[in-house]
Amino acid sequence: MTATAGLKEAGRRQTAALLAFLLVQTLGTVFFVGDVIGDLREDPTSVHFIFEAGVTAALVLGIVFGAFALRRTIELLRAQEQALDVARGALGEVIETQFQAWALTPAERDVGFLALKGLDVAEIAELRGAAQGTVRAQLTRIYAKAGVSGRAQFAAFFVEDLLGQGVPASVG
Amino acid sequence: MAAPLTLAAPPSLWDPVVRLTHWGIAVSVLANALVTEGGSLWHVLLGWLVLALLMLRLVWGALGPTEARFSAFPPNPVAALRHLGQLASGRVRDYPSHNPAGAMMAYAFWACLALVTVTGLVMTGGATPMQVAADKAAVASGDWSALIRKGGDDNDEDSGLRHTAEEVHEVVANLLLILAALHVAGVVVEGRAMRRNLVAPMLLGERRK
Repeated sequence: MTATAGLKEAGRRQTAALLAFLLVQTLGTVFFVGDVIGDLREDPTSVHFIFEAGVTAALVLGIVFGAFALRRTIELLRAQEQALDVARGALGEVIETQFQAWALTPAERDVGFLALKGLDVAEIAELRGAAQGTVRAQLTRIYAKAGVSGRAQFAAFFVEDLLGQGVPASVG
Repeated sequence: MAAPLTLAAPPSLWDPVVRLTHWGIAVSVLANALVTEGGSLWHVLLGWLVLALLMLRLVWGALGPTEARFSAFPPNPVAALRHLGQLASGRVRDYPSHNPAGAMMAYAFWACLALVTVTGLVMTGGATPMQVAADKAAVASGDWSALIRKGGDDNDEDSGLRHTAEEVHEVVANLLLILAALHVAGVVVEGRAMRRNLVAPMLLGERRK
């Protein structure tokens, strides 16, 4: 599971929990309101009735707040999704531009993308229906054109700019 | 994508409250119309459940996300007819929420659901499922006072009201089934015209492998 999938899963769990809470609360409120209306016909001035009416008002208020919380969670999740889409698109553009600057051939571009996605030589070869030796040769050419030592540096080339902070002083 | 183009299309997945209330009400109404016996504990219980789900959906119509709010699909019969005309000629456009005809269907459903639950409450004298269960248990154990109590405060006016409620309850329940059939037909026709799966957004969304 990727980091974003984990975030999404957590968000989904939170939404489900809030929804369950809201449903139980609405059920309780409807039953309670029914009961209060029944009491209303008997004696609306009794302490019992006034107390129950107060509890009902609190329950209704709880539904309103619960609904607000759920909507905020849903909107937050959507905003995250959208921001992620934008970032994904932007990163794709950066990679595309860089590949062009390195003058990679279309085949090398495909292999480069797959390598960035974390696929190994065997997987790339299977996906492209090519021999492993071909893929290995293509990767070597890509690394040479990019002027990097290997796959780790190749991937780091694109991640580096996304990481806001520099290397911590204690490490360097 | 964040492109504004997608804002005009209906959601690829409705929010969880819309989905829960939709299917909860659909199953409960079908069960009460076709399976449970009127006045039985299950019938009353499902009726109260529908009332709660309806309340939740109406609260959500005021407080929920944009496409679930009433403001996203105001009742507009003229627009609904225009939309049906477009559908007949095969030219359909996208709406950010329910299309105008679907919106009228939603409001018709809610009005019928409100009527059918309120008349149900009048028929049972507002008895909660717990009271119904207690009464049934008492009668079953040979204590018929529950029935007498119910009959005792039955003056003419009250029984007249109950009788009317019963008539309305039955008519509206049948109307609900007709609306449901129309709704399903609408989804099929609309989905075909738009070349889009309209059921998936109401279930789990488009499944990406």
